[in-house]
Amino acid sequence: MSSLKLVRGMRKLLTDAVEHGSRAVETIQLETAKRPFTVLEAISPIAVPAKTVHVFYDAAVNVTHASIRGVNGVVGIALDAAIALAEKTTDEE
Amino acid sequence: MSEDAPRTSKLSFALGIVNGLIGDHLARTDNELAFDMAVMSKGAAVVLDTESLRALHPDAMSRVCVLLHGLMNTEEAFFSGDCEDYGARMQREFGITPYYVRYNSGLPIPKNGAAFARLVTDLVAAHPVPVTEVLLVGYSMGGLIARSACHVAALEDLAWLSLVRRAVYVGTPHRGAPMERVGRVVTKILAAIPDPYTHLIADIANLRSDGIKDLGDADVTDVDRARRLPRFSLRDEKHPVPLLPQVEHFLVCASVSEDPQLAMWFGDVMVPVHSGSFDAITEKAHLALPQDNVKYLPGLSHIMLPCHDRVWETIRDFLGRPLAETETP
Repeated sequence: MSSLKLVRGMRKLLTDAVEHGSRAVETIQLETAKRPFTVLEAISPIAVPAKTVHVFYDAAVNVTHASIRGVNGVVGIALDAAIALAEKTTDEE
Repeated sequence: MSEDAPRTSKLSFALGIVNGLIGDHLARTDNELAFDMAVMSKGAAVVLDTESLRALHPDAMSRVCVLLHGLMNTEEAFFSGDCEDYGARMQREFGITPYYVRYNSGLPIPKNGAAFARLVTDLVAAHPVPVTEVLLVGYSMGGLIARSACHVAALEDLAWLSLVRRAVYVGTPHRGAPMERVGRVVTKILAAIPDPYTHLIADIANLRSDGIKDLGDADVTDVDRARRLPRFSLRDEKHPVPLLPQVEHFLVCASVSEDPQLAMWFGDVMVPVHSGSFDAITEKAHLALPQDNVKYLPGLSHIMLPCHDRVWETIRDFLGRPLAETETP
């Protein structure tokens, strides 16, 4: 197996790990927060503000993890381009 | 051996583990780290044409042996011990030309079996001299893949099956691996608990490859796999898939402990004795396999089996015997 092929494979594996890891952590954070929010939302005087905070919290978690995955994707594309360039250079040599 | 051999060896060792753990994911995502099934020589894939095989074996004989490694291994497992590899000994002592095969051990066993059936077809066609016998040697999962390939060959009427008169299984879990079955049930229980943390643990556990999951019940055909997937039990009552009657089978199983009770429970750490012996030792009436064709080696662990003098001695004894009469298909 050539070194560049190995690097490309490792790159894919790492970006896959970040992608799946981010989704797993996102699910955990949303599900874990859901329990106390469910309790707070059942108490009438604070139900409305609790629901509002819950919506903002979920949105913040979603946006944060979407950003992580977005950056991960961009880094993956950049690394692919760099590997392709290295391959081209190696072939020319 | 080239100067970078130790680096190559460590790398292929690591890649073998990655392939075994998540090889199905690697294949699904077209990851370059996934192994393609190939005949290997000194860490490189050999093209299956007559010229390449003649260059690999200038003194090729009409009897060939194909050796398959186990889960999370590469063909280098057969060179891992202090002893000489089985292939070289077969060549020297019996005039059998050895071929070592590497494959992605994370793929489902039936898929690897089908690929192996095609590979043997190509190998027999490209071998420099007409092949009169194909000997299959499978270590651990490799034995199940050999069996799976034989089932494919029987179904598709592939010509090479008639050349297979003997098959050797070393530490092969014919009756499945209990550790995987327990892991499967625990994972399903964790997934059934309505808690995000147990779900996460179950999800992580479920990342293990299809190859590992198939080892639980020794699923050698697609029918076995399909039956297993919706089930929630420790044992598939429709197993085992029988050994093909037209082939003479030789089973080597081991145990770390020499205590009979501990040996039965824990076997060689990975494969219990009853599974490695296809129940021939524990339930003699279950399988019509001659007792001489099952060898139990106390004092050996699973990782010692692909390259050990004691294992070789049993294989040599088996190969030195005249062929037994087997049923014709």
